[in-house]
Amino acid sequence: MIITKKHLPRRTVLRGLGAAVALPLLDSMVPAAAALSRTAVRRLGVVYVPNGMAMSSWTPAQTGAEFELTPILQPLAPFQDQLLVLSGLADELAFPRAGEGAGDHARAAGTFLTGVHVKKTEGADIHAGISMDQIAAREFGKETQLASLELAIESVELMGACDGGYACAYGNTIAWRTPTMPLPMENDPRALFERLFGVSQTTDPAARLERLRTNRSILDSVTDKAGQVRRQLHPSDQARLTEYLEAIRDIERRIQKAEEQSDRELPLVEQPAGIPATFAEHATLMFDLLAVAYQADLTRVSTFMMGREVSGRAYPEIGVPDSHHPVSHHQNRPEMIAKLAKINGFHMQMVAGFLEKLRSTPDGDGSLLDHSMILYGSGISDSNTHFHDNLPVALVGGGDGQLRGGRHLQYPEDTPISNLYLSLLGKLGIPMETFGNSTGKLDVLTDV
Amino acid sequence: MSGSALRTRVSGLTFVVAGALGIALQAQSLMARSSVPAAAPGVPSAQTATPPTQASPEVELASGYRLVLDRYCVACHNDRLQTAGLTLDFDTLDVDQVSHRPDVWEKVAQKLRTRSMPPTGRPRPDHATYDGFASWLETGLDRAATANPRPGRAAVHRLNRTEYTNAVRDLLDLEIDGRALLPADESGHGFDTIADLLSVSPGLLERYMSAATKISRLAVGDVALRPVIQTYSVRPTLVQDERMSDALPFGTRGGIAIRHRFPVDGEYVVKIRLQRTWMDEIRGLAEPHQLEVRLERARLALFTIGGTYKDPAPDYRLRQERGQAADDALARLEYEMTADAGLEVRFQAKAGTRLVGIAFQQDRLAPEGVLRQRPSVSSFAFRSIKNTDPGVDTVQIIGPYNATALGDTPSRRRIFVCRPAAPHDEDRCATEIIATLARRAYRRPVSDADIETLLGFYQDAGRTKGFEAGIGLALERLLVDPDFLFRVERDTPSAPGSAYPISDIELASRLSFFLWSSIPDDELLGLAEGGRLRDPSVLEAQVRRMLADSRSTALVTNFAGQWLYLRNMRLVFPDPEAFPEFDDNLRDAFQRETELFVESILRGDRSVLDLLRADHTFLNARLARHYGIPNIYGNHFRRVTVGEARRGLLGHGSILTVTSYAHRTSPVVRGKWLLENILGAPPLPPPADIPALEENDDSGHARSVRERLEQHRRSPVCASCHAQMDPLGFALENFDAIGRWRETGDAATAIDASGTLPDGTEFSGPVELRTALLNETYRGQFARTVTRKLLTYALGRGLEPYDAPAVRAITHEAAPSDYRWSSLILGIVKSVPFQMRGLPEP
Repeated sequence: MIITKKHLPRRTVLRGLGAAVALPLLDSMVPAAAALSRTAVRRLGVVYVPNGMAMSSWTPAQTGAEFELTPILQPLAPFQDQLLVLSGLADELAFPRAGEGAGDHARAAGTFLTGVHVKKTEGADIHAGISMDQIAAREFGKETQLASLELAIESVELMGACDGGYACAYGNTIAWRTPTMPLPMENDPRALFERLFGVSQTTDPAARLERLRTNRSILDSVTDKAGQVRRQLHPSDQARLTEYLEAIRDIERRIQKAEEQSDRELPLVEQPAGIPATFAEHATLMFDLLAVAYQADLTRVSTFMMGREVSGRAYPEIGVPDSHHPVSHHQNRPEMIAKLAKINGFHMQMVAGFLEKLRSTPDGDGSLLDHSMILYGSGISDSNTHFHDNLPVALVGGGDGQLRGGRHLQYPEDTPISNLYLSLLGKLGIPMETFGNSTGKLDVLTDV
Repeated sequence: MSGSALRTRVSGLTFVVAGALGIALQAQSLMARSSVPAAAPGVPSAQTATPPTQASPEVELASGYRLVLDRYCVACHNDRLQTAGLTLDFDTLDVDQVSHRPDVWEKVAQKLRTRSMPPTGRPRPDHATYDGFASWLETGLDRAATANPRPGRAAVHRLNRTEYTNAVRDLLDLEIDGRALLPADESGHGFDTIADLLSVSPGLLERYMSAATKISRLAVGDVALRPVIQTYSVRPTLVQDERMSDALPFGTRGGIAIRHRFPVDGEYVVKIRLQRTWMDEIRGLAEPHQLEVRLERARLALFTIGGTYKDPAPDYRLRQERGQAADDALARLEYEMTADAGLEVRFQAKAGTRLVGIAFQQDRLAPEGVLRQRPSVSSFAFRSIKNTDPGVDTVQIIGPYNATALGDTPSRRRIFVCRPAAPHDEDRCATEIIATLARRAYRRPVSDADIETLLGFYQDAGRTKGFEAGIGLALERLLVDPDFLFRVERDTPSAPGSAYPISDIELASRLSFFLWSSIPDDELLGLAEGGRLRDPSVLEAQVRRMLADSRSTALVTNFAGQWLYLRNMRLVFPDPEAFPEFDDNLRDAFQRETELFVESILRGDRSVLDLLRADHTFLNARLARHYGIPNIYGNHFRRVTVGEARRGLLGHGSILTVTSYAHRTSPVVRGKWLLENILGAPPLPPPADIPALEENDDSGHARSVRERLEQHRRSPVCASCHAQMDPLGFALENFDAIGRWRETGDAATAIDASGTLPDGTEFSGPVELRTALLNETYRGQFARTVTRKLLTYALGRGLEPYDAPAVRAITHEAAPSDYRWSSLILGIVKSVPFQMRGLPEP
């Protein structure tokens, strides 16, 4: 089957961005199998913003249920009843230890979901911890074809632009499968499409099944070979082959899942041509594909980076022609803070679009959003000082009845953000004693 | 080491302890690298025989240098303060035992060579002491390295995206778009060849699996292929007002030249979509324009588009009276949104990579290359312009339909080295094909087991789908084999911690991945299999052959592209308000200029110093106009001699742009780039929580970047590094953030491009900076930086202190030839870390 691009003249304009944006490619995709009827599953999504936040335009003035949305949070107005703004959480481990000096960006992203202080190194011996999304992925991955998705907007190919003294990986991803294996983030929608739906360019089940079987036999054979090669190596060299073998097992497991689920209808989706020209189109397309992945239950866990740490992207389309990172060092000058808040608000706008998609997609007895926990935040609070306490954190979604939104919660100063992760993992059905530097749970997420 | 060994190597040197402190050392004729171990301070002549029972000259010399350390260094670098984590106290460090702490002493030697310590403003030794001490340290370190070579250890190296793409090209004669198939790789130490960072995630392995499927399909061909759509987009920020490619005919404007891979002989469709405004109206329909589609040289179609609706229609008034105007408007709108619907042509194409050219006929009278006023290409205003020339937005190539034959493609010729004469001959031929492919792909002689595994896949698919499908599946399997995807070096049994030469086969791969970013070819592999690659004349001849081969372009795009941050050119976005003229035509031209320039120096085997001083560059009309150089017409790049200010890399728009912020220049970023990539003395990372430079506000009190930076430097914490970084960057302030020459800076302030190098050389502006960088102190430093970068890239690991002796040896050997490329590259190929491998310490 070929999927041709239907030419539908569209004059619709998305409003509210300061500039208008043409509808993205994926707008014409219509879910063929509307709601897959089954009991509700829980989903986790984490969206990370680099370079901190214009905190004065983030933190609501009031706490409790009666709070007014601040300019940055404004795009979340339609979801306010499912929104929790969490203040006072800190990522103490991202502060430098004696002699470490600079590197707050790398530490912020590296520590954000892992709850450990990352090792300062530019090379071989990178070390963080297993990130909380990957703990969820390990569990939920038993049910889905893909354990998790790691998505981003920015390319990781920029030379000489990583935080001083730290391997680029620390600032390029927030997902760590193991303490030594950062997961690369995909920013090409076309590649993401293939990851979700395969190379056969069709959703024809017979063709897909045949492809899966071929892949399985190739993987079987490669497993034998990789094992042989590994045995010939010095123990210190075996890690890479071990990693390769683990990747094989992961894909084999996926193939098995895909075979079991081959009668399940997939949404009809067009393969995107590549990376769209504007930030808004790009972000929207990536979020659209992520929503489809949730909808088709291809995965239940995702991480998404709006930009890599130290991102120097300029946003002329919203009237901020300056580079993001220099702007984030605003020195408390109002006009600079205003620019940063604009960028922060623009990012939130993108997320609001995603949330809207989740809310309008039926899922079991409610919507996708009802069964999701979408965490939004940064590992740096005030970008001017690069501090890691009082982080900007918001949680959106019903969490399958596990979250009660519509509130701004103020926690005691320096409450570890790991406490939040411990709570969320518990609510996702993965009870743990501790996570990272947690000291307990945040119980008021569910009730007052 | 013994005193006698020392004495025999010392000649004509005199050290004199002078001055009240007795520490100012003077040396005669100490060159940038002296292999002279030198005599002790206070010893008039090294020839003086010293009885072994007394303090040897070495020890006395050491105690002299101990005094230098005490005098100039330990005020900060002591056990208590531990500035920069370094202690040079007597208690902690013996200066006469340099081989015990190569990590410390290499650092000290480096700081001495670059004159970067003590900090400016603090008392400093004289130049003779600087060089004498550095040489003395280096000599000790080199001697220890010779006695006990430490080559380091290459980790298992996964082919990175570039290497994979090139390997497929050389294995199958197939050009693929690696970017579309595989994700980017992590980089470290400035390069994406660092083995430790080339990890394998499940996501990546899935990409390898799907890439193998696609590549096999393309290379072998399959008449049962489903039609697929390949979309080629023209970036909306590329202005289509000139001939877009040398591959398009003269007299054309806009469009795109596509090298498309047609998988089989068959019918294909080209479908063109034109650029639209944000309101979805096709641009430039007011007048008729002609658009042609060519396959290689043959014209497939000539379309006329536009001009249907003239403004106003002749009978407009009449129709308005009859109330038909609204219908007209609707029809016109319909036309403006769908006029390109019929821009498609169906044609027969032979399998293989062919040029599909799509372009408008040039119908304007204005000469090519004259810039018309327009808003910035990334502005909303630009996306709103309807009344302009039409442009191509995307081209889809769809097919194959009615595939007739697999055709005779280079890939098929490369793969099918035999043809089965009869059905019973198929297995023999398949074995031959598979053995040939596997040897190249695995880069070593193949075993029966290798062939058996692949034959199994051939038989699986072959039984039901035929001979060629069988080969296709075997190829798919081969492309995910660990022996293809990884470069694995296997240890020779020896004692832990010892070093041994790698095998010839492994050396062949190190060579090809270094020089070509790809697999060895048959000649290189053949020599290695025959055990002849270590013959020095054979090795040198191979290196020269490989450098002359077109595949060595990888050194330009892959090595220099990363070293110089040229790859960032694709990713920078200058502020459209400050730089409305910046478009993708300029972006592409910047990149092309530097690539052509570096390639000309490399291919001409000229001195690496020419990268800084050559009097030529490569320009097309667009770039020449940007630089203010007259009389260059047309889109074609040609070699041009340029004036002093534009000479060398420091005058290239690409470098100047990637080292700027979106809205202004950054002397700090430029200075850091120079320190890191030219002088090889990267500054320490900044301390935590420092504010960025204050921007100019609207208060009317405009200050230059220099004024603002100087305020910033008043803080002593900042000063230690910025005092070195900023002056270098200031020298380039005459170039704005997109590399144009300017006389006034930020906020119309006068430009002050003066500064001082750490060795005290004063300069003002880019020309004097360049001269200073090429002086006796720094030219060797630059050569050493290039060597370090090349070696890092070649070895796929960060350099360690124990690699410094190899770097010194390479640059020393290359100095007499004025640092020719070939001399540096041969030096690396012959060096200990490239030729050997160490076993891990127990």
